[in-house]
Amino acid sequence: MSDALEILQQGLNKARAASSPQQILDLIPYSSFIGAEAKIEGSDVIYWLDRCPTNIGNPSLPAIHGGVIGGFLELSAAIEILYTLDVNAVPKVVDFSLDYLRPGRYKTIYASCTVLRQGRKLVNVTATAWQDSPDTPIATARCHFLIS
Amino acid sequence: MNLKLAIFKPMLKLAMERTGHGAALGFKLTKVGRGEVEMTFPYKEEVVGNPVTGVVHGGVIVSLLDTACGSAAITMLTRAAVTPTMDLRLDYMHPAQPQQPIYVAAKVYRDTSNVMFCRGSAWQDDPENPIAHCVATFMKVETPSISLTNIIRRRFNLLVRGNKAFEQEADK
Repeated sequence: MSDALEILQQGLNKARAASSPQQILDLIPYSSFIGAEAKIEGSDVIYWLDRCPTNIGNPSLPAIHGGVIGGFLELSAAIEILYTLDVNAVPKVVDFSLDYLRPGRYKTIYASCTVLRQGRKLVNVTATAWQDSPDTPIATARCHFLIS
Repeated sequence: MNLKLAIFKPMLKLAMERTGHGAALGFKLTKVGRGEVEMTFPYKEEVVGNPVTGVVHGGVIVSLLDTACGSAAITMLTRAAVTPTMDLRLDYMHPAQPQQPIYVAAKVYRDTSNVMFCRGSAWQDDPENPIAHCVATFMKVETPSISLTNIIRRRFNLLVRGNKAFEQEADK
């Protein structure tokens, strides 16, 4: 087993034992690049992304980059798998489909994910992002990941 | 290249390479034609998605393809409008090689009165063996209030004052 894999698996076990999805985010460099954070709220994990100048998209309208919203949802979906399922390697994304429902304004984005199906090889996850209220989502995503 | 594209290319380059997320990721705009855009992303350790293999996170590919398709859509406009993404679908065919740049190309393959249909692909060694491809649709929302001079003024303001100018605008 490579050192990096061992560090990852130890990190995953520690994060699950501590009920801290944030500790899983900390294992993935892209998380801190976009500034993604996570916390437990009731029985769900809530992910969020505070506003940050390096996440700006079109500077003509004050908006968060569409790719950042996509990347954030894809990341949240992968963390959801690592946190809630017994998976010990970073899931491989196979496809990703994103609907933009409202503009992502320059303020905090929240997200939550649901694992719809877990098979032996494949997991289907949906992720929803919102800003003002979960009733007015700004984007929804659906992705397939290969595990194992 | 026509006059509109000649003015448009440096503006797009400025917006993408010098501000916001594109600047943070180090995107380079390499080609702009009517309905066609090509870009490059240099490998960056900071955006690794798999610490075991060093492969960049899929989010980077999403950003690359969204930017390239969105830019290609903008080049099709004949009137003042914004082109928000309606949806984006990506297929990841194989993982990217770490430490190597990623190239993307995007093309508008159908332009209608309200919606533009784009496709894009991302590759490293061989464009025929892409790491990902996508289809994306963009709305055309006409905005007569956004004039070219207004856009140039804002871009200039951003260039001189950096992201501070943007934050002030967002707080208004």
